[in-house]
Amino acid sequence: MTPSPDTLNQRLRLARDRLATGLITAGGIGVLLAVLAIAVFLLWETLPLLRLGDTLALAKLTPLAWGTLKAAFYALLFAVPLALGAAMYSALFMSTRLRHRLKPTLEMMEAIPGVVVGFIAGLIIAPWVERHLAGTLLLVIGLPLSALLVGVAWHHLGTRLQRTLPLSWAGLWLVPWFVLMIVLIFWVTPQLEQYLPEGDLRRFLDKQWGIDYATRNAMIVGVAMGFAVIPSIYALAEDALADVPKSLLEGAQALGATRWQALWKVALPTAGPGLFSAVMIGAGRAVGETMIVLMASGNTALFSASPFEGMRSISAAIAIELPEAAPDSLTYHLLILAALALFVFTFLVNTLAEAVRQRLRRRYRRLEGHP
Amino acid sequence: MNEDGSLPIYKHIHSDIHGAMGNPGNIQAPLHRARALFIRLLLAVLLTSSPGAWAGNIEGTLGAVGSDTMAGLMLRWGEALVTRHPDVRLQFQASGSASAPPALLAGTTRLGPMSRRMTAEEHQAFEKRYGYPLLELKVALDALVVAVHRHNPLRQLNLAQLDAIFSSTRACGEQAPLRRWQAFPATLDWPYGKIALHGRNLASGTYGLFRQRVLCGGEFRRDISEYPGSSAVIAAVGESPGAMGYAAYNHLTPMVHPLGIAEQDSQAVLPTEEAIQSGRYPLSRFLYLYVNLPPNETLPAAERAFIELILSDEGQRIARAAGFVPLSAPTLKAQELSGD
Repeated sequence: MTPSPDTLNQRLRLARDRLATGLITAGGIGVLLAVLAIAVFLLWETLPLLRLGDTLALAKLTPLAWGTLKAAFYALLFAVPLALGAAMYSALFMSTRLRHRLKPTLEMMEAIPGVVVGFIAGLIIAPWVERHLAGTLLLVIGLPLSALLVGVAWHHLGTRLQRTLPLSWAGLWLVPWFVLMIVLIFWVTPQLEQYLPEGDLRRFLDKQWGIDYATRNAMIVGVAMGFAVIPSIYALAEDALADVPKSLLEGAQALGATRWQALWKVALPTAGPGLFSAVMIGAGRAVGETMIVLMASGNTALFSASPFEGMRSISAAIAIELPEAAPDSLTYHLLILAALALFVFTFLVNTLAEAVRQRLRRRYRRLEGHP
Repeated sequence: MNEDGSLPIYKHIHSDIHGAMGNPGNIQAPLHRARALFIRLLLAVLLTSSPGAWAGNIEGTLGAVGSDTMAGLMLRWGEALVTRHPDVRLQFQASGSASAPPALLAGTTRLGPMSRRMTAEEHQAFEKRYGYPLLELKVALDALVVAVHRHNPLRQLNLAQLDAIFSSTRACGEQAPLRRWQAFPATLDWPYGKIALHGRNLASGTYGLFRQRVLCGGEFRRDISEYPGSSAVIAAVGESPGAMGYAAYNHLTPMVHPLGIAEQDSQAVLPTEEAIQSGRYPLSRFLYLYVNLPPNETLPAAERAFIELILSDEGQRIARAAGFVPLSAPTLKAQELSGD
């Protein structure tokens, strides 16, 4: 008896399904094994440190750990307000047309390799900022203030002007305003700097408070690395905010809440874990990022919190020293230990972020009425 | 170089008879010279009676134990040898100059690269065991420059001042650290502020040499920016007027100018190739290769070809590309006689 074509087809499909499932499972197990193998290798390679028994070992690693956290801190200080702000605006206020253009642009930003960002930051921006320190600092304070100013002014505009400059398109019409402000600030600073008794901000900082300004410093690293982590924080936070069930927001607005109240009282608390995990993912990237810190930080193993002084991160130390460290030497094993610490840290941060995200997804499904 | 311009040509043929492939260095020679060389090479090949002397089939393992400063250099030389003789296998171990004498003594290697000269005790230990001295070859020079921004008016420093600038321990005996440009008469007005220091990373030979020669073995300050290459140090110094950095000799650019270095009270010497080769510049040293060569024997073919390569023009060009300073022609010539 020959099987009917129907059952044959069914069997074929079943076989294909099984094959696909098997391949995917094998791939998943393979990745897990690879991660495990890395951990085992690192552990195995740090064991000789016990034999070499150098108590100096940990003392040498602490400035590196400090540098790693310092770099990540300044990067997040720059990236988190910008990325979360952008995510809130684009998820809840921005016009859909603009939003569809903005998201791919920001994702493209993520595709810029770290070396390129590091090169531009370390070799072009850092010397430039050193020459225009006062202007840059004024910019850091001035731009957010000018944005606030626009916000206040917009409220006092007439309805007709408000309609020509709608809030949902603010992302676009603010650009010329910011350009104008940047030009203004850099035009005004040299005049202001003349009123300092030393005639120069760097001399002033040095004479008044003994603050030293290094060309490659935490501020530069923070901005450059912040630039690199903004896309991932933005993308995750935007998704979390945009996925807040529409019924919740519409319900709040139907009860008379303004869009601002709906954001603060409904969207943010609901999406909070998502925003948290976005920031954690960003922190994980900032801690592991190598080339930007390597090229823009000066690699000075200092214990200082000053944004104007450099630091040395674990990943940069590994990248610089490992190619030249003689195998089986103390330096080599120390670097492997540093790599292990880095691995454990990023692993924990990423796992935590992922776990929080999973919980959030379940919560959304409950809120939307699925069990 | 000019007065003995005939030497390189002679040497090319010489090495080409032994190593079957052409020397890439000929590319730079004028065409007619290259053609003449080719004809002479052809003649030499045709006239050689024993094919074994020039056939390229050298095989075997080339082992060396020693200096980590020279690790990259030895590897580049080794790779150049392997492109000529693909059957040669390299087995280099770079665990520091101090590891070369014991390995030579134990007979685990015939070649011991060292970034310092062997001490009398190390020499004697070998001679006592084997009954003949080690062959000592100078293979290249290593030199450091201290550079400042091209507009910086500072022209020279002495070693004690350098120690006071770069070290936290001041092991050479200076009293106070030098941290500001105002400490020097030449830079009283400009540049202003602290000296921004730049240097190499811990695992590099440049770091080690600077520490040994300038800091008297002391510790570096912690706020020195460290870079993975000498070019990066020079680039960083070239862009900021208040910077000072040390780097390997071969990476100077017009963006910076090197400082003349003085030992205690003597005249400052600028790092020119001539001053380095003659040893007048204080921050330079010879790099050595010690060879276990019994008096009435010849070296295995791989080792022999390797040493010939090192002392050839190509070998010295490789040394220059690796950040070292090539040997002067007289030094090379003197060693060719003793080496063969």
